[in-house]
Amino acid sequence: MIFRSFAFALALGAAQAVVAATAGQSAPNFQLVDTQGKAVQLSDFKGRYVVLEWTNPQCPFVRNHYNTRNMQALQQRWGERDVVWLSIDSSNKSSGEYMKPSKLDLWMHSQGAAQKAVLVDDDSTTARLYQAKTTPHMFVIDPQGTIIYAGAIDDRPSTRPDDPPNARNYVQAALAQATDGKPVATSNSVPYGCSIKY
Amino acid sequence: MLRSAHLTRLFVAATLLALAVAAARAAPVRTEHVEAELVSERTALVPGQPLTVALRLAMQRGWHTYWRNPGDSGLPTTLAWKLPQGLSAGPIQWPVPQALPVGPLMNFGYEGEAFLLTEVTAASGLADSKLVTLTGRADWLVCKEICIPEGADLALTLPVASVSDADPRWAAPISSARGALPQALQGFAVSAVGVGQELVLTFTPRKEASDPGEAYFFPYKAGLIEPSAKQTLLRDGDAWKLTLAVANQRVGEFARVAGVITSSRGFAGQRAATLDVPLGGSIVAGTAPPAIATVPLALPADTSASSLGVALAFAFIGGALLNLMPCVFPVLSLKVLGFATHGGGRATMRLHGLAFAAGVIASFWLLAGALVALRAAGAQLGWGFQLQSPAVIAALAVLFFVMALNLSGVFDFGRLIPSSVATWDAKQPFLNDALSGVLAVVIASPCSAPFMGAALGYALAAPREVTFAVFTSLGLGMALPYLVLAFFPKWRARLPRPGPWMQRLRQLLAFPLYGTVLWLAWVLGAQLDNDAVLRLGVSLLLIALALWAWQSRSAGALRGWTVAALAGVAAAAAVVWPVVAASTPTAASQSTSIDSGGWQAYAPERLSTLVAQGRPVFIDFTAAWCVTCQVNKRLVLNSSETRDAFTRSNVALLRADWTRRDPAIGQALAALGRNGVPAYVLYRPGRKPLLLPEVLQQSTINDALATL
Repeated sequence: MIFRSFAFALALGAAQAVVAATAGQSAPNFQLVDTQGKAVQLSDFKGRYVVLEWTNPQCPFVRNHYNTRNMQALQQRWGERDVVWLSIDSSNKSSGEYMKPSKLDLWMHSQGAAQKAVLVDDDSTTARLYQAKTTPHMFVIDPQGTIIYAGAIDDRPSTRPDDPPNARNYVQAALAQATDGKPVATSNSVPYGCSIKY
Repeated sequence: MLRSAHLTRLFVAATLLALAVAAARAAPVRTEHVEAELVSERTALVPGQPLTVALRLAMQRGWHTYWRNPGDSGLPTTLAWKLPQGLSAGPIQWPVPQALPVGPLMNFGYEGEAFLLTEVTAASGLADSKLVTLTGRADWLVCKEICIPEGADLALTLPVASVSDADPRWAAPISSARGALPQALQGFAVSAVGVGQELVLTFTPRKEASDPGEAYFFPYKAGLIEPSAKQTLLRDGDAWKLTLAVANQRVGEFARVAGVITSSRGFAGQRAATLDVPLGGSIVAGTAPPAIATVPLALPADTSASSLGVALAFAFIGGALLNLMPCVFPVLSLKVLGFATHGGGRATMRLHGLAFAAGVIASFWLLAGALVALRAAGAQLGWGFQLQSPAVIAALAVLFFVMALNLSGVFDFGRLIPSSVATWDAKQPFLNDALSGVLAVVIASPCSAPFMGAALGYALAAPREVTFAVFTSLGLGMALPYLVLAFFPKWRARLPRPGPWMQRLRQLLAFPLYGTVLWLAWVLGAQLDNDAVLRLGVSLLLIALALWAWQSRSAGALRGWTVAALAGVAAAAAVVWPVVAASTPTAASQSTSIDSGGWQAYAPERLSTLVAQGRPVFIDFTAAWCVTCQVNKRLVLNSSETRDAFTRSNVALLRADWTRRDPAIGQALAALGRNGVPAYVLYRPGRKPLLLPEVLQQSTINDALATL
């Protein structure tokens, strides 16, 4: 415990200048390799809506959204409307929850996931860039590259199967409002879930 | 009739008592990681009076559940009551949480045992002598590295009665939990002012108040204050100011600051208190670009991730490698000499080997015990800490010098030690072996071989049993060569046979010891000053003279030589005494060990300033008593090629000199998962700090800089 506190204090001491990745800010660019071994950059998708979904198949909150097929349905629905959905696993290689890209790919496949790509961020660099805290932690980026939503996937922080279908889904709402040309009503929320395994 | 009614009443009373006892003993629900139950402070519900019941959660070691605001991740525990008519329950009264860091994130919650209190009230009309069952559904998220949602349906059955007794099992813990609940802060006027990215809570005492110590504020609402940001309490005139960071991804209106303020020494005696004040000033987080956001850099390889097996293996290999380190080598040589001269049967040989191994392992246990004790005392120490004390350095120098003189043949132990002790010593060769095992460990401490750092860092951060396991493994590794030689006589047969060469070898072996003495003198010079080195030198000279005089007793007048020898030792002690008595200065004069070449002395603030400027930073964790450090410095760090490479990449150079004890450096090393020097780390903007190997090569530096 004492040791962890030191590590933590040092981590804070070594603060570094970045712009907060929050609604209204431009989304920082990043480059990652997907589970197929292909390099993917955020800037590849300029001119399109992009959803970033921080994921970790070991996390009960993530599993709940996949078991209820809530996540897959969103990926499918918005994928058909040319929205780029990127799932990012930022579990550090040193963490017990790290999954090899092939295993991660297999898991997503077995779930019938329909995202554009599953990205491997095994040194948590991109999570740090976005100050992502939880799984799931969601970001919606507009075609100009501005973050229009950052936070939780919905308004029910729980792992109960009956919650996702009945919750108010913030990502769905943000995409629907933005693609309709309306302002996004809720652009920030407190993310919930498991901590990202930095 | 009357008698019958009396009996009935007695029977009911007995039943109620039995039930009440049964309720108190109701088996708790055990989930995978938590033991949960509803417990009551008193044995009965009294209509019209509030009763405190608690949801008791006992978490497995290392696991935690969450407070009402879980921090960066997690979920608060919930308790949904299903109560019979006439009963009502209040909200959970949350105990003061702990701040639980998870990597760069922060959680608020409970480890160990938590009592979440709720006040239950029975309506005054509720019938007497009735049993009621309070049921509730408790749900919690329990996390260690992974998180598991758990829950239980719990029940508590209590009689309704006009009087109640304190529950023998639960009254005390519940009452103490209630006593520890945070109350509104007294004796201070509190204001909250937003200043851009930060907000400042000012605590002004209404009358004289003592220093609250370290403070930490737990906000009730998530999304307003950054949970992982550092909180610092500073004195400002009569008041204290606590600076908090506004959440990087702020959510919702931020009009009031409400939560629990805790402090190590208490605000006018209150260790934990609630506050709720309006927020003045203005904050800009969330929508405007902040000047500096706190994006913590992840630290390399969290030590908790490395498995025990790997740590034990590394400790074993590290222990074996210790034998090849320059500071252990003389002992190895001496020991090999011992094996060659011992002779005796195979069984005796094995016993010699085992005795030596026992000595080595026993001293590692002693070190582990000391480490555990000192760690518990909160001392910031690291491997090699023994050599941070000038007294230990001086004592070792004298010891090695005397041993060297013995090897050179200036005197013999047989004559120095009274014959009774000498023969006792000879009759106890196994004790002798064990003692040389101890000596080997004592002098091995400065040599933090490549495998040692990680294993020791692991042991320092690990539970007590693991610390002992790792140190045992280290000891086994170190004792390995001796055991092998003792148990495989064939290999031993390759050792040279005893003969006249032994005397010459013995004399030759004196020279590495003299070398060690020189090195220790140099370390002493780095710790103290030139004067200390001279004093040590004079003292050694007097000791040599005294030993020579002692040896000459047999040749000349017995009394005269003895007096001369004793006088010499006394004079030596007098000369060296100021050195031994010198307390370890805590890095007061860093400048002496910081040389030119663009190196600055390490300080945590300097590091954070440089990192905040976006400059890459290279830190050399070093000490004068660390041979590997000096070799790396001479051959690699001070080379013109390295200097040019650092300049080209605009790397800021910091040197953390651990020759003397310095808690800041000890903490920085611990944070890197290391526990000794050398350690080399390159901080890269926006990336994880890169730890370099302990033995540096030119290519190592070039490769590291290429990642910038």
